[in-house]
Amino acid sequence: MLVGYVVVAALLFTIGLVGFVTRRNLITIFLCTELMFQGIVVNVVGFARYPLSGGPPTYDGHVFALFLLAIAAAEAAIALALVVLLYRYRGTLDANAWKLLKES
Amino acid sequence: MTPALLSLAVAILGGAGLALALPGKARPLIYAGYTLLAGAGAMALMLLAEVAGGGSQIVYFVILSAIGIFGALAMVVHPKPVYSALFFILVVVATTGLLLLAEAEFLFAAVLIIYAGAILVTYVFVIMLAQQPGDLPRYDTDARAPFLGALAGFTILGILGTRLLSDDVLGDEAMAAAQVESGPPGNATLVGLELMTTYVIGLQLTAVLLLAAMVGAIAIARRRPEREAHEASPFALPTDSNESTESTESNPNAGGA
Repeated sequence: MLVGYVVVAALLFTIGLVGFVTRRNLITIFLCTELMFQGIVVNVVGFARYPLSGGPPTYDGHVFALFLLAIAAAEAAIALALVVLLYRYRGTLDANAWKLLKES
Repeated sequence: MTPALLSLAVAILGGAGLALALPGKARPLIYAGYTLLAGAGAMALMLLAEVAGGGSQIVYFVILSAIGIFGALAMVVHPKPVYSALFFILVVVATTGLLLLAEAEFLFAAVLIIYAGAILVTYVFVIMLAQQPGDLPRYDTDARAPFLGALAGFTILGILGTRLLSDDVLGDEAMAAAQVESGPPGNATLVGLELMTTYVIGLQLTAVLLLAAMVGAIAIARRRPEREAHEASPFALPTDSNESTESTESNPNAGGA
């Protein structure tokens, strides 16, 4: 049963990774980051429920997922504040608008 | 088919399908991508059913995984960001369902409330804030380097799948060693005990991190432009000359401090 959770987590993480690399809208890029976080949560809780040592379920994975949740919330707040600021500078949500390092 | 070969087929078909289905191409190519993704999804579900020998829970596991993977693919492929956010809520519901299947009731409730209730609402607000009228802009309808992106991602998935599901990891002795009895009751109590005893320093540091993030977000988003009469757009930030003259006027004695 552990391998089932790990396979689902790998699929979610990979789809999030492809979306993160491919899309151009700044908000969609950060949304794909959150999708990668979901994959990690499933993975880590699967390992906590079915430990490799074969004993009873542990809860270290749950604590990891809670910390990940807090960090994902903080990252979403800062990322969206940055996106709003960048939108005010250039008037577009395009990631390609920021591909040159020179000031305008 | 052995699980390793099946995962390799899922990776190849899924990568090709996702590369074709990402926005920015002609309609027939996109529909071909959807078909390939449907085939890859069906094979992924067969793989999950074969690998997860969980007995009575397998039907719920496969259904929830199917909803989650469909939501993830729809989220990545859809041009409009509002639809992406809504499909991500679907993914969160499916993921928390999987957490509930793994007897993690506290995380099920916490992740659902915080993600779907707080983080996604913030995302939808910011999307509505940055809307542009008219047709979808180019950065939504076009994907950048879809084939290279799908190649990178699904190469990783193929390597993970074939190594993880090969016989020396998934063989009989490894699976027999992974037998589990049912856990003790009181999931929230046990998680709280771990959090308060073993990981208490991390808990305090996380609280400080959240506070810092909140202060930082307010500070970043607060830089409000001056509303000059001749400014065309209310969203433009002040130019350098305005800022320097304002600072020297308001703090004549602050120079050189």
